[in-house]
Amino acid sequence: MSYGTGSGELHEILEVASSAPAAWAARYPGRRFLGFFCSCWPEELVSALGGEPLRVLPPARPGSPARLPAYCCTVARGCLELGEKGTLGFLAGAGFAHACDTMQCLGDIWRYAAGMPVFYLVPPVAPLACGAEEYYTEELSALYARLAGAWGEEPREDALREAVKLHNRVRALVGRLEELRAGLPSPLVAAVLRAGQVMPRREFLRLLEEALPGLAARASRPAGRRLLAVSGAVLETDDFYRLVEELGGRVVADDTCTGYRHYAAPVEESLPPLVALARRLASRPPCPCRHLGLEARARYLLQLVRSKGAHGLVLILRKYCEPHAWDAVHVAGALRGAGVPVLVLETEGPVVGEQERTRLQAFLEQLSGGSGP
Amino acid sequence: MSDKQHTLHSARRLGRLMSRYYLSSRYHSLWGPLLRRPLAWVTSGAPVEILRVFGIHPFYPENYGALCGARRASLALCQAAEARGYSQDLCSYARCHLGSLFSPEHAPLKKLPPPDLLVACNNICGTVLKWYEELARRLRVPLLFIDTPFIAGELEDRAVAYVQEQLRAMVEELSRLTGRRWDAARARRIMGLSNEAVLLWREIRYMGRHRPSPLNAPDLFIHMAPIVVLRGTPQAVHYYRLLLSEVRERVKKGIAAVPGERVRLLWDNIAIWYRLNRFFRFFAERGACFVTDTYTGGWDTEMAVREDPLESLAEAYAGIFLNRSLQFRVRQMVELIRDFAVDGFVMHSNRSCKPYSLVQEEIRRQVVEQTGIPGLVVEADQTDPRAFAEETVLNRAQAFLEALAL
Repeated sequence: MSYGTGSGELHEILEVASSAPAAWAARYPGRRFLGFFCSCWPEELVSALGGEPLRVLPPARPGSPARLPAYCCTVARGCLELGEKGTLGFLAGAGFAHACDTMQCLGDIWRYAAGMPVFYLVPPVAPLACGAEEYYTEELSALYARLAGAWGEEPREDALREAVKLHNRVRALVGRLEELRAGLPSPLVAAVLRAGQVMPRREFLRLLEEALPGLAARASRPAGRRLLAVSGAVLETDDFYRLVEELGGRVVADDTCTGYRHYAAPVEESLPPLVALARRLASRPPCPCRHLGLEARARYLLQLVRSKGAHGLVLILRKYCEPHAWDAVHVAGALRGAGVPVLVLETEGPVVGEQERTRLQAFLEQLSGGSGP
Repeated sequence: MSDKQHTLHSARRLGRLMSRYYLSSRYHSLWGPLLRRPLAWVTSGAPVEILRVFGIHPFYPENYGALCGARRASLALCQAAEARGYSQDLCSYARCHLGSLFSPEHAPLKKLPPPDLLVACNNICGTVLKWYEELARRLRVPLLFIDTPFIAGELEDRAVAYVQEQLRAMVEELSRLTGRRWDAARARRIMGLSNEAVLLWREIRYMGRHRPSPLNAPDLFIHMAPIVVLRGTPQAVHYYRLLLSEVRERVKKGIAAVPGERVRLLWDNIAIWYRLNRFFRFFAERGACFVTDTYTGGWDTEMAVREDPLESLAEAYAGIFLNRSLQFRVRQMVELIRDFAVDGFVMHSNRSCKPYSLVQEEIRRQVVEQTGIPGLVVEADQTDPRAFAEETVLNRAQAFLEALAL
């Protein structure tokens, strides 16, 4: 499909989104990539030091690395497999922001399994707690110094301010795409958002800027489609989004870790950059790994569903993902109580099987609003 | 081998002590309001000394989960929670506890004493926060949460300061909730009692260094209860003095926990509660004694004495072993293996406890490399019996023991 002006740029973005990690080093030679695993990792620190933050995503069908037991999510197992095999050998290091128990363990194992420097960041689990902002600002400052030391750079504040501006521009541009989301195929938007987490940000910014007018021109009302909000952890492929489209649905709000949640909430540019980065943690959409109050996530998702006009919410549960499994009980109950149909869809990995397809189909059919494809 | 040699006489005293604790918890509604002493459900790693200063009675759902497992009530309770939408992949202590709220008829103690507040500290895992959030929503009681940042390397001053700030806020909140004032001198006295019990518990655990060992892992698992639920009380100190004297006596008389001890093992992780005796008996019958373990040592770290008790508490509770890196745990295991002259180790890959279990294979590799002794990993669950394939596990254990030339 052609998207008119900027079509070439869009294709380049999509090509990156679908390429295997092994290809990235060849595509961007001479770049210093730092791999990260969680959307609360402060990419700005890497950019400020001349590096390129790159989100490490697992392969669609991961194996079973011996260092992790079978009762561990495929995100951790898949990433570890890449690390152990040396597929990510081009990385200058790996950045772990403490989130769930599983990623905490993966970060620990990574030091020994992947043969690269590991930079660990421990954001507060309760960003609104007394002393959290001061603690996190110091933690970020220490990380900035460690990264700079490892790369022989100076941790400069002006460079960090520039990096904040760069990433805010990316966020603003993705925000414009987000406004067009309902009129665009779901897998396309998901792929663009994923590309923005793996490719050098300046390139992404340039390409998306060129591609947006064409996308805006092609965006059309999703007539007859059931509109969905989606929330969950990492979705490393487009399979789920493709299935939604095939079954006559459209994702109008994407609160997954790799979706819009990654980009939401800009960093305040008028503040000292480390303080602003620390404050962003509390202003991001609630993640099950952070404690922002007992009702914060359910309230946020209800507001998201309503503001985007979604007919229903799909909570994607990755097998063995504890934080999302815990939240699913309350969030599903709270939203159903508010009249929003909710489907809790458990999947082993990103590739959706027949059973999930049937459940999703049945859910879409029961939603009012559309008449199917 | 006679039963007398297996069971410590103190076990009867322990039974009475724990029964009194559970009875006083169960009938808290009769005496608590009269004495203006609220009841809190707390995580095992919460700074209980602060609660005791305010006269709050702590009740431990994790300890209760272990009790449900030991009494074989856990399956029905887990299923009751699963029927309400809680995934089978979630911690089975949490599922047992939630299940006891939904199906009290299946639960030991039947109806648990309702809490006036909840206190959770994430120094043992991230699960406790999600579990207590759920409790707070269901029971509509205040949740006080203490965030202890994971220690990837060394415990940093900024992390201690952050925890200390939160403890200050907690003190204010408890003051408001109870109408009592913070009393630093009383806090120091309670912390002194905690330290005394901790040191006694440490000494008891270290008796396992004797050959033959006077203690086997099930002894440690059973007798750890007071250090968890009665920490900071004279009862815990009194009990551990008694236990220490009995264990010393055993050493003096050369009484072995496992008569004819031939192999000395280390256990890693929480017990398999529903098979506690049967599982360890399998090893004992083959002359293998678990002379030490990593889990019950989680409560043998004493608090440093600082001018501000909250600083001491922040440092102690932020620094517990489950909040530390893989490297720390490797070092700890290697030291235990050397100190206790261990011949091999068994790791319980516990589906319920991810922070404990997911790093075990890497720890096993490093410990084997550094000590040259073999390690076995067995998969099970602390309280959900569906995750334990007994025959398969015991076959592997048999092969492991044969390789150790038994």
